[in-house]
Amino acid sequence: MNLRFLEKKFDYKLAYKWFEKRNWKPFPFQKETWDLFLSGQSGLLNAPTGSGKTYALWIASVLELLEKQEFNKNKTPEGLKIIWITPLRALAKDIQKALKLFCEDHGIKWQISIRTGDTPTDERVKQLRKAPTCLITTPESLHILFSQKQSVSFFENTTAIIVDEWHELMGTKRGVQTELAISRIKNLSKNKLKIWGISATIGNLEEAVEVMLGPNYKEKPIIIRAQIQKKTAIVSIIPEIIDRFPWAGHLGIKLLPQILPIIEKSKTTLVFTNTRSQTEIWYREILNKKPEYAGLMAMHHGSIDNHIRAWVEDALSEGKLKLVVCTSSLDLGVDFSPVETIIQVGGPKGISRFLQRAGRSGHQPGGLSQIYFVPTHSLELVEGAALRTAERSGIHENRKPILNSLDVLVQYLVTLSVGNGFDEKEIWEEVKNTFAYKDLTKQEWNWTLEFITSGGRSLENYSEYSKVNKTSENFTVTNKRIITRHRLSIGTIVGDPVLNVRFTTGGYLGTIEESFISSLNIGDVFWFSGRALEFIRLKDLTVFVTKSKKKGGRIPSWGGGRLPLSSQLANLIRQKLENAKHGIYEEIEMIKLKPTLDLQQKWSEIPDNSSLLIEKTISKDGCHIFVFPFEGRAVHEILSALIAFRISRIKPITFSIAMNDYGFELLSDQEIPIEDALELDLFSLKNIMEDVEECINNVGLAKMKFRDIATISGLIFKGYPGKFVSNKHLQSSSSLLFDVFHQYDPENLLLRQAKEEVITLQLDYQRLVDALKRINMQKIILKNTHKFTPFAFPIMADRLRQKMTSENVYDRILRLQQQLESLDN
Amino acid sequence: MLKDFKFTLLEQNLFLHPYKSIFWLEKKILLIADIHFGKAAHFRKSGIAIPESVHLQDLARIEYLNNTYKPERIIFLGDLFHSEHNETWKIFKQFCESKFNFKTELVLGNHDILDKSQYNFLELHIENLIIKPFILTHVPLKTHDPNGLYNLCGHIHPAIKLSGMAKQSLSLECFYFSKNHGILPAFGSFTGRSITNKRKSEDEIFAVTNKEIVPLFRE
Repeated sequence: MNLRFLEKKFDYKLAYKWFEKRNWKPFPFQKETWDLFLSGQSGLLNAPTGSGKTYALWIASVLELLEKQEFNKNKTPEGLKIIWITPLRALAKDIQKALKLFCEDHGIKWQISIRTGDTPTDERVKQLRKAPTCLITTPESLHILFSQKQSVSFFENTTAIIVDEWHELMGTKRGVQTELAISRIKNLSKNKLKIWGISATIGNLEEAVEVMLGPNYKEKPIIIRAQIQKKTAIVSIIPEIIDRFPWAGHLGIKLLPQILPIIEKSKTTLVFTNTRSQTEIWYREILNKKPEYAGLMAMHHGSIDNHIRAWVEDALSEGKLKLVVCTSSLDLGVDFSPVETIIQVGGPKGISRFLQRAGRSGHQPGGLSQIYFVPTHSLELVEGAALRTAERSGIHENRKPILNSLDVLVQYLVTLSVGNGFDEKEIWEEVKNTFAYKDLTKQEWNWTLEFITSGGRSLENYSEYSKVNKTSENFTVTNKRIITRHRLSIGTIVGDPVLNVRFTTGGYLGTIEESFISSLNIGDVFWFSGRALEFIRLKDLTVFVTKSKKKGGRIPSWGGGRLPLSSQLANLIRQKLENAKHGIYEEIEMIKLKPTLDLQQKWSEIPDNSSLLIEKTISKDGCHIFVFPFEGRAVHEILSALIAFRISRIKPITFSIAMNDYGFELLSDQEIPIEDALELDLFSLKNIMEDVEECINNVGLAKMKFRDIATISGLIFKGYPGKFVSNKHLQSSSSLLFDVFHQYDPENLLLRQAKEEVITLQLDYQRLVDALKRINMQKIILKNTHKFTPFAFPIMADRLRQKMTSENVYDRILRLQQQLESLDN
Repeated sequence: MLKDFKFTLLEQNLFLHPYKSIFWLEKKILLIADIHFGKAAHFRKSGIAIPESVHLQDLARIEYLNNTYKPERIIFLGDLFHSEHNETWKIFKQFCESKFNFKTELVLGNHDILDKSQYNFLELHIENLIIKPFILTHVPLKTHDPNGLYNLCGHIHPAIKLSGMAKQSLSLECFYFSKNHGILPAFGSFTGRSITNKRKSEDEIFAVTNKEIVPLFRE
């Protein structure tokens, strides 16, 4: 490619001058992006937030459009040219501001519009009537566009799609939606589309670009690396006295006296916690200790009202806040340059996420980012040491793309039918041209078509079914109620049923899970959105509250949100323990942890790389078996079910199972025959597929997955929070549907998807096999311990549990009843 | 083998069956609550694909109970049909007309919203039906019956959760007899359940398994 020719043809001077006027200099990666974009290529830009990534792609887009109209700035290009996809609607405004800035400075008056769930209806109608030049939108809103009759002509002039924060979308079903949208627009546009992604650093950037461009992209995909990764200093907050018995969650707050001076010293601090409940707790505790921070501190998490969140984001970037306590909700986007200090509470569970958070501070390129790590139980100190090693060696995790999601496909095909209708052959080609469905079989495709037109395989079983009509030309939906219902439920983010929280005087605060509210009585005080609230009444899916003067109050818990340890980090943690086992204590974290580890060694063992530790303890609760593979929660979830299942074949027995990232516990009221089980090759790879499948059913993991699938594929309609649609007679739970299909339509492919998701999404199947292979090479050390060891204690204390049983119901009832009797006596 | 369980209440012999029905021996009455027939078709009409076989099993169970107990009356305690009219109602009508030589009866429930003319093959009881010493309703009566009649009813879809050692728990559908109410579990295979956690010490509860009825001790 002739660079000089490009510079001239597209008048780079325009951009250079603009940079000069603002006292900026284009980075080499920005110039490289212009060159490649303008020579017609597609690819991926790997650059962190706040680096000028937006201008890398936007200036190239503008220069190209200007060239097309001979640099006449007064002309407006015909139709929608550029689609800018962002994962968060909160980011859309900032992107719009940045894009507009460059145009306005050049007197260019093109429409740059936003279309998200927040966009008012009249504005949306206007956009359809006269398309803007650039549209900033989310994957969901794009799909809602496809459900409009006008959508076919809407995209015919498009020249480029930019996917912002692609690393966040890939590996989720929203990523699959994005792939489908790209493939659709590729086909609808008369132009050869350029597709560009923007991504933070992940382990599999090469795959990321491949997924985005689809299997039919024949050229070599391009990755531009911004090379402005900063050095990160990781400082662990180390408790003065280390509990020998680490108890999950309790340690963090105790460290507050050591943390407050750090906050005090810094201009603006972000405190990241792992869950929304933790955010509420930390906010409350800090405010208790530092009442003078009132008005200077804020909180930010996914259940808080959008307007409040937007306010926090604005105040943050204007430097008005001293402190924000948040969850991953602030991981993305917006340039928070005033932020000086980052504090991470609890193990971040992944290296890339941790380093991206660290990068939130000290935005000068080349500057040093500093991040403080606050362990929530003392064993987490190992993670601090492991993270530092990871940072030094430049290790990053992979984001695994999702394949063959039939629920998303079902939703998409109905979306198209609701819009203009679709032609089977045309859409089959389009769908096959996505990475997600490149291996979709004709059989699966036909099942999906049958599912949306006749309900399922056997017609007689599905009489009076009404959804998509198949005519000789295409597939369409004519039933108005189905159209409305479908448009309301487009999307792939499935949460627990939520209720709105509102003041009796009118102000809106956010959403809370139904299960939490149902445990409260009128007049109870709970803590939400950073304040104590009194529960007044529940009406029309809204919880009405008033402010309360009380200090205490329960803090709601929200489902989900526990991220599993990545395999990269798990690996490093095992290395740290291996060192400890051999008496090598290098990092400060490990030195401080020595007394705890010494106790572990005295009562039991510290496992090294060549051994697997199993502990057996009898308590008044029953018989406990602890296994410590240190593989992360995702692997332990399946591995524990597998082990429990294999033991339960020896004798009828019921287990309750708990786990954390380090190990898992099987607990039973009966003696667990672990010695016999070990002799029978408990960890064998033989029949592994069959056994895993069976234990997934038994433990109910597939049923849990089915909840999301049932919602995405339209089997369950929840309506929108706040937009309650009355359809009482259509309510059912996903677990009831799961049972019905399981019994009466076992061939239903959505059921199969649920099972597959347990194995492939939750955990890389390969990771399970690798873990078992590793275990098979290890020496198994079985220790009978009289008390719970430091490793066992935090698992035992966990209340979230799975069940596994091989007993019949009658025997279980009798035993539960007997235990009740013996308790009475 | 399915095993029923004889429960004596107010000197009446009630046979609780694992198919979630009661056979009242003295009067030869079979009581069934909350079948929610036609629910699958109602869902299908709205584009939610539920197979019809889920209801065919319910019919087969009614037939089984009929053959087992040879009742003289069958009384449905409400929510017989799930919603607006659909084809499944015809199937039910044909079933009743071909299997029984008497009119089955229905105490109307909140889901029974069909046009009254649709019920002509049934005997309809709008509010309640009194067969001493019981008063049969769909929704449990809020206040104790002034004549001291005991209320047999449905509507709740009761279930109970048992907990024990080793953090174990088990939830089961149940027959729930409190001081004034005897609540039947929901008969229909396509119905949810609701776990009762306000058990009073005098309440008598019978758990349903797929084979038998298990009386639960008082706590």
